[in-house]
Amino acid sequence: MSARAKQAPAKIWHDDYPQLGTGPLPIEPYISEQHFERERDKIFRKVWLNVGRVEQIPQAGDYFVKPLEICRTSILVARDDDGEVRAFHNMCSHRGNRLVWDDKGSSRGFVCKYHGWTYRADGSLQAITDEKRFFDLDKSCLGLTPVHVGIWEGFIYVNVDPEPVESLEDFLGEVGQSFAGYPFAELATACFSWQVEVKANWKVGKDAFQEVYHISSLHGRSTGRMFASPANPFLNVHEAALFDPHARISVPANLDWKPHPVEDLAKRFGILTLQKQGISSAGMPPVVNPTNSPDWSFSGFNCFPNTSIFVSEGGFLTHTFWPLAVDRTLWETRIYFPKAKTMAERFSQEYSRSTFLDGVMAEDGGIFEATQSMLASGAKTEFYLSDEELLIRHHHKIIADYLNA
Amino acid sequence: MAESSLPDAFFDLNPYLEWALPSEHARRAKRASTSMSEIRAFYDAMLERMEAVLSFLEKYPADDPPADVELLFLLATALAEIAPAVEMYGEQTADGMDVLRLKPVDIYPQRLSREL
Ligand code: FES
Ligand SMILES: [Fe+2]
Repeated sequence: MSARAKQAPAKIWHDDYPQLGTGPLPIEPYISEQHFERERDKIFRKVWLNVGRVEQIPQAGDYFVKPLEICRTSILVARDDDGEVRAFHNMCSHRGNRLVWDDKGSSRGFVCKYHGWTYRADGSLQAITDEKRFFDLDKSCLGLTPVHVGIWEGFIYVNVDPEPVESLEDFLGEVGQSFAGYPFAELATACFSWQVEVKANWKVGKDAFQEVYHISSLHGRSTGRMFASPANPFLNVHEAALFDPHARISVPANLDWKPHPVEDLAKRFGILTLQKQGISSAGMPPVVNPTNSPDWSFSGFNCFPNTSIFVSEGGFLTHTFWPLAVDRTLWETRIYFPKAKTMAERFSQEYSRSTFLDGVMAEDGGIFEATQSMLASGAKTEFYLSDEELLIRHHHKIIADYLNA
Repeated sequence: MAESSLPDAFFDLNPYLEWALPSEHARRAKRASTSMSEIRAFYDAMLERMEAVLSFLEKYPADDPPADVELLFLLATALAEIAPAVEMYGEQTADGMDVLRLKPVDIYPQRLSREL
C-alpha cells in the first residue's frame, strides 16, 4: 500500500545528520531551573516568536494582547490607521501600568486606567491628563515602547530583543520559504482555539509534536487509525528534514481507514482537516507533500523554538508552548479552517473539534503531565531516541547551541 | 433553550433535548457525568435519525439559523461530543487530561457562529 513498505531497507534519517550523533539525551534541561532561566534569556528574549495571525486584527484599530511571561512582558499587537501591524510592550509610559487589560478588541486608541494617559493605535502618546502640572515632557518621545514585529504568510511574529540579530525572513530561512504559497489566508476564515496550563516543561509538549512515533500507541483508539496502517504500523514518516534551527516532517495516511458511523456522517457533510480520507496536496507548494506520496496526510513545520504548524488539505493547525516556569506551560492550540456554509457543515466541523479534544488534547495533554511528574523524580537521567525522533534530538542540539552562544 | 422546540419533523427526538446544550464545556460536563448506558441510548436514537437531520440542516446557511434549527443543530453537536466515547473508547473519557480544563478562546474579532 504505502510506497515506504516496498522500500527495503528504510532510509535512516540520522544518516543525513551525522553531527547530531545517536546517543541518549539528558533529562536535565526539562527539570533544571537554571536551564530554564538560560532558555529565557538566550532563546525566548532573542528569537522571533509566533504570537498569532493577521486575521485576528483585520481592521485599523483592532488589537490583541499576548502575555509573554517567558519574556517578562505583555505584548500589545495592533493594526494602526495605515493598516500596519505594530507591536508594543503593553506598558504605560507614565508610571508603568499595564495599559490594555482586555485579550482583544477594537479601539481608536488606548487609555491607561491609572491616570488616564491616552495613546493612538500607532503607539504614539496622544494626551496626558493635567499635562500642565508636568515638567519638561516631550510627548513625541513618550509613546509605547515598540517591539519588533514581522509577518510570515499571515502569521505574526514578535521579537523582544531591542536589536534582533536577524530578520524574521532570515530566521525562517529556507524552510519558511518552502511553505510560501500554501493557502493559509484562504483557510483561516474560522478557528477553534483552546488554551490550557499544563504542569510540564514546554519541551515535553513540543516534543510530542516533533514525532509521530507515539501516534499508533497513544492515539491507537482515536486519531491513530487515520494514520497508522497495516503496511506502516508504526507510522514511519515520509520525510524528516532539518533546517537549522527549524525542521520539517511529512506524515503518512492510512488509506484503508474505516470510519465509525458518526465519523462517516461527519465526513460526508464536510469534515475538517486531517480527518478527510484521501487527502490531496494538489495545487499546494511541493514542500507540503515533499515525497509526493499518495498516502500523505499532513506535514509539520516545526518552528523554533515553541511552535508547530501542521498543514494539510483544507486546513492547518498550530500548537504553541509558552513556558511559564520550568514545570508549567501554557499550551495554545488553534485549528484553522474555512468557515462553514451550512448548518450541516457546521455539525461536521463540531465533530472534528470533538474528536480533536479527545484524540489530541486529552491524550497528549495527559502524557505531558504524567511525563513531567516522573522526570522530576530524578530516577533516570537520560532519554533514548529512535531514528523517527530525529527532530527532538535536533531541537536539543539547537537549544544547546543557543545557550552556549 | 428550554422554551424552544425542535422542527416538527424531529419531534421524536424531544425526549433528548436535555443534551442540546449551548457550549462545549456544558456538553463535555454532561458526557463526563452520564453513564455509558444513557450515552449509548442517546447515541442510538440520534444515529438512526442523523441522515435526516443532516439533510435538513444542509438546507440552512451557517449563520443565524431559526431557533428550532439551532436547537436541532445543538442536539446533533451533542452527538458529535459523545461519539468518541461510544465509537472510540467505550467509556466516557479517555485516559488523559480532563478536557474541562481547556479554555475555548475565540481569537477572531467577530464571534464565530458558535458558543464557546
Ligand atoms: S501609569 Fe498610566 S497614566 Fe499613570
Ligand atoms: Fe499526539
